[in-house]
Amino acid sequence: MQPCSREMQGINSLLNPTQISLQDLHDQQQQQQSQIQSSQIHHQVQNSHFDPTSHDDFLEQMFSTIPPPSCSWSDLNPAKTPAAWDLKPRDLSDDTAPLNPDNNNNVAFQFDDSANLASKLRNHQISGSAKSAAAAAAMMLQQQLLMSRGVAGAGDSGLIPMPLSLGSADDNVDGSSSFKSPNLRAHDDSVQALFNGFAGSMHGPGQTPNQTQHFHHSQGGPVQGQNYGSPAAAMNQAPASGSAGSAPAQPRQRVRARRGQATDPHSIAERLRRERIAERMKALQELVPNANKTDKASMLDEIIDYVKFLQLQVKVLSMSRLGGAAAVAPLVADMSPEGGGDCVQAGGGNGGAQRNQTASSNDTLMVTEHQVAKLMEEDMGSAMQYLQGKGLCLMPISLATAISTATCHSRNPTNRPVLQPNGGEGPSSPSMSVLTVQSATLGNGTVDASVKDSTSVSKT
Amino acid sequence: MNPRRSISSNPASTVKSRFTNGFLKALLRINRQRITSTTAYTPREIFRGYLRVKIAADVSMASAIGSRRAWSRAMLRKVRSHGRDGAQVRRMSFLAMRKRNLYGKKIKCVEEDVGCYQANVLRKLVPGGAAMDMCCLLGETAHYIKCLNTQVKVMRRIAEVFST
Repeated sequence: MQPCSREMQGINSLLNPTQISLQDLHDQQQQQQSQIQSSQIHHQVQNSHFDPTSHDDFLEQMFSTIPPPSCSWSDLNPAKTPAAWDLKPRDLSDDTAPLNPDNNNNVAFQFDDSANLASKLRNHQISGSAKSAAAAAAMMLQQQLLMSRGVAGAGDSGLIPMPLSLGSADDNVDGSSSFKSPNLRAHDDSVQALFNGFAGSMHGPGQTPNQTQHFHHSQGGPVQGQNYGSPAAAMNQAPASGSAGSAPAQPRQRVRARRGQATDPHSIAERLRRERIAERMKALQELVPNANKTDKASMLDEIIDYVKFLQLQVKVLSMSRLGGAAAVAPLVADMSPEGGGDCVQAGGGNGGAQRNQTASSNDTLMVTEHQVAKLMEEDMGSAMQYLQGKGLCLMPISLATAISTATCHSRNPTNRPVLQPNGGEGPSSPSMSVLTVQSATLGNGTVDASVKDSTSVSKT
Repeated sequence: MNPRRSISSNPASTVKSRFTNGFLKALLRINRQRITSTTAYTPREIFRGYLRVKIAADVSMASAIGSRRAWSRAMLRKVRSHGRDGAQVRRMSFLAMRKRNLYGKKIKCVEEDVGCYQANVLRKLVPGGAAMDMCCLLGETAHYIKCLNTQVKVMRRIAEVFST
């Protein structure tokens, strides 16, 4: 008979939130109809028109007859074994029949306890570690109870706020627990025993120790979910399965963790990793100009382009500082029309080959310049002839700059040799001319402005 | 030419100042070398000169950072090994890098959801990026971009100073 009492306690506790209203009902009805209702219950139980829709009546009457006469219960179904606690409502009704009359009193004043117990259990599991799973499971349980039991209207109103508070993860925990009694820890053992008995009666002795192990208020949200799953599965008739097996019912009861609240260590690690990467991307966005891209791929493209650009700037600047501008300018001039990228970045591999072609022409240019400068010192005519022989010409600087800015996009100024006379300065003209060439070919502005600045400075 | 800038007496130990000091010293050294040797206008010489200055800039940048960052360590390692063994090491390390890159590509592409290709490109750009996962790579890239910006500013200023 012990299991029966515990089963009764189980039912009472699980149907808990209605206890308050039911107690009211009970108080109201107790004085008047105790005997009458017991007989009514007998009728109903015997008729066993116990379908899920009539749960209201059954529950009310079951709980209202708090001290039913001892003989009434035993009369009902002596044949039914109390251990066969099946999931069918029919069986439930049958199982409640052979309840020990002694336990009715226990049931009576255990209403308060079970009410408190279940509320505390729920609170505890809310405040427990795996809030989401437990809350979800508890909510699920509540909903199933709602559906299956068809609790009375007052009970419904009392029950519905519970799932709501469970649903909103942390905020309403205090609110929900505020109107529950505070002292939780003291009832752990009783609650555990409650569930042990309940589960044990349902699933046989073999699984009970398993579930007692599981039923610890430590971590293991999914385990708690399972634990909820088994009694919920036991009590559940609405999902239309009604199967007695716990294993097939459990996966169906498990609720998928909400987004951002996964408890699986892998997903948590994944989430951390993703958050870290997002942080770094934000930091990079501030560094890189023109970083208003929302897409991760385009942001990465911008970053790559910016790094390439900065590296190119370093290369160009390191070139511009070599001894004489004459040595640098041809290289710079050749680089810039191509955007500077190919020529410079190929420096590692085949830059030598490239520069051979380009620099050789500039090499000859420099030689030509020296030659012309020498000739100019001697004889202007011969200098001009020499130039014409080479296919070059002389022109004033202003014209040269005008032409260069006009044709700044010319790719390979083979007619580069614009040697300008510089108002009498002979030997200094190479640097001048080279610099103007430099400024001309850099007129695109692809490479940095510093070189242009330097040229402008030296021109003055 | 006034190569020596008037560095303030107080040792402002910012990355910028450290880099400036190191770079100017290296430039001095290079100029002295060039003065002693014949000024060669052959392309090879020109290229070598440019390479020396660029390496000097990178090394002084990495030394200013020190061993704090993976990219600076990788850059110093590369320069040292490059200088030590020359072509052979370059060839071998090139192959090794190739293999490592391929291997890394296989692994990283499996893990990455978005931006796998760009991540590999970034790894080639940032020194020492081949052996990093996405998270570290992004962090190193951010620091590397900061340092490159400093480098460019300083070098630009030096070029201005030299050209006046």
